[in-house]
Amino acid sequence: MDNEIDYESAEFKNAKQEMDKLVADSLKNREVRPNVLFSKLSDLTKMVSGDLVKWSRNNSVWPLQFGLACCSIELMDFGSSRIDAERKGYLLFRATPRQCDVMLVAGWVTKSIIPELKRMYEQMARPRYVIAFGECATCGGPWWESYNIIKGIDQVLPVDVYVAGCPPRPENLFGAIMKLQKKLGGAVED
Amino acid sequence: MAITKVNVGPIHPSTHGVLRLVVHLDGDTIAKVEPHIGFLHRGVEKLVETRMYMQSHPYMEKIDYMAPMSVDDLYVSTVEKAMEIEVSERAQYVRVVLLELQRIASHLFWVGSICNDLGQLFTTFMWGFRDRDMALRLLETATGQRMFYVNMRLGGLARDIPEGFGDETLKFLDYLEKRLREYEKFIEKNPIFIQRMKDIGRISRSEALDLGVTGQVLRASGVSYDVRKNNPYYVYDKLDFNPVVLQQGDNLARYRARVLEIEESIRLIRKALGKMPEGNALGMPVKLVSPPVKNRIVSVSRENPRGEEMMYMVGDPQGPYRLSIRAPTFINLSALDYMARGNRFADLFAIMGTLDLVMADVDR
Repeated sequence: MDNEIDYESAEFKNAKQEMDKLVADSLKNREVRPNVLFSKLSDLTKMVSGDLVKWSRNNSVWPLQFGLACCSIELMDFGSSRIDAERKGYLLFRATPRQCDVMLVAGWVTKSIIPELKRMYEQMARPRYVIAFGECATCGGPWWESYNIIKGIDQVLPVDVYVAGCPPRPENLFGAIMKLQKKLGGAVED
Repeated sequence: MAITKVNVGPIHPSTHGVLRLVVHLDGDTIAKVEPHIGFLHRGVEKLVETRMYMQSHPYMEKIDYMAPMSVDDLYVSTVEKAMEIEVSERAQYVRVVLLELQRIASHLFWVGSICNDLGQLFTTFMWGFRDRDMALRLLETATGQRMFYVNMRLGGLARDIPEGFGDETLKFLDYLEKRLREYEKFIEKNPIFIQRMKDIGRISRSEALDLGVTGQVLRASGVSYDVRKNNPYYVYDKLDFNPVVLQQGDNLARYRARVLEIEESIRLIRKALGKMPEGNALGMPVKLVSPPVKNRIVSVSRENPRGEEMMYMVGDPQGPYRLSIRAPTFINLSALDYMARGNRFADLFAIMGTLDLVMADVDR
């Protein structure tokens, strides 16, 4: 390794202070003055936002692809042609957590994957929801006595909907997301 | 030239599970691949030691969740060998039919997902899943569950195949043969697919033998080794089965080996259904007190959809004293470093896809 970067050097140590200073300088001349048009618009959006946001949030629940084990195969089946989740607005699975609303944890969670699980959850934009799919994510399932499996992801994340079964059928996931939609407060067509 | 290290995973859409790869790159060329495994380790072999013989089926099925029945069958065969229990002839035929259906389902899933890995998103994936679902429906009518069947019992099965199962299966096989022609038109005649697959990830015959890989990775490199042929179990020797052997040893050969194996499975099921005798296919009911163990140390190997899976068991009267599993995907994964060296970074996932990894099988 010839051209390795020296992270101990002074310029790297002072990087954070320099960055803060740059941000402060750039914000100096950016105070927003009250504007007639904008103030009226903000009133309008406040009026409709309650229902509009709720409606749009309800009808575009984007799941995060977080397949761990067996249940993730049924998750893929959920997105495939027989079930066709897209017709309800659940869309296909996103690979990045930044575009997602709901995290589907499918499979057993080992001790070594917990930091990654938390990190993925923290990267998701609020409001964010978690569905525990399958016995292992719900309570540890058959691996209750195993030394390396945590007994349910509710020990590390707040869970909104649990789906029982080993593995649950893809239709059950449909039901679970519809339950989540009910929780979000929107009307759901059965 | 400086080597850049790139981290891939552990959660990545193309790793088919939870696998972390540290890739050493020289420009855009792969110099080395270090797989870091263990993210799905749950200690199956240890858990089984504290269970009775017939309590371990569900654990066994979750080892290879793409083809659960094949591992369950391996476990039951190991226990049968230890207790010297005979399997009735009808049960052998039924097992062959179900196992080959399972193999078809597993390979169809693979055909769908390899195109996803190459960036051809979701068309073939949908096709593969549509046909896989039909195979799973047949298995569901035969066993009662969609994914984890727990259908094997000592000396036979938990339930015989229902009436009309044979006709439905034959209908499905006719349909699948037509679909395979469409796959061929759509995938194998696609110039982009050929460019991404041909002469990439090549592994020669001697290298494949040295690395100890099995399954399609070995057979695509010109070695004719299939447990169903070389060490036949059940009634495979009566069905004049021929293993699929290809010479090129690259990605395309591994793809072709799997598709041709689907066709071979179709032929096997047709023959087995035609020859199936009458009789009793049911095995022993589940009891906590099992028959006495006659051979204390046994090892059995079976041809899994992914390669040769082997089980070594030291038996006690109540349950296994020690159970050890030779996972085919674990050993195939160790060959990834050799296969990927010298290729472009973008081809890494194509090469890894053709290994058909199941991480639960690697980590156990």
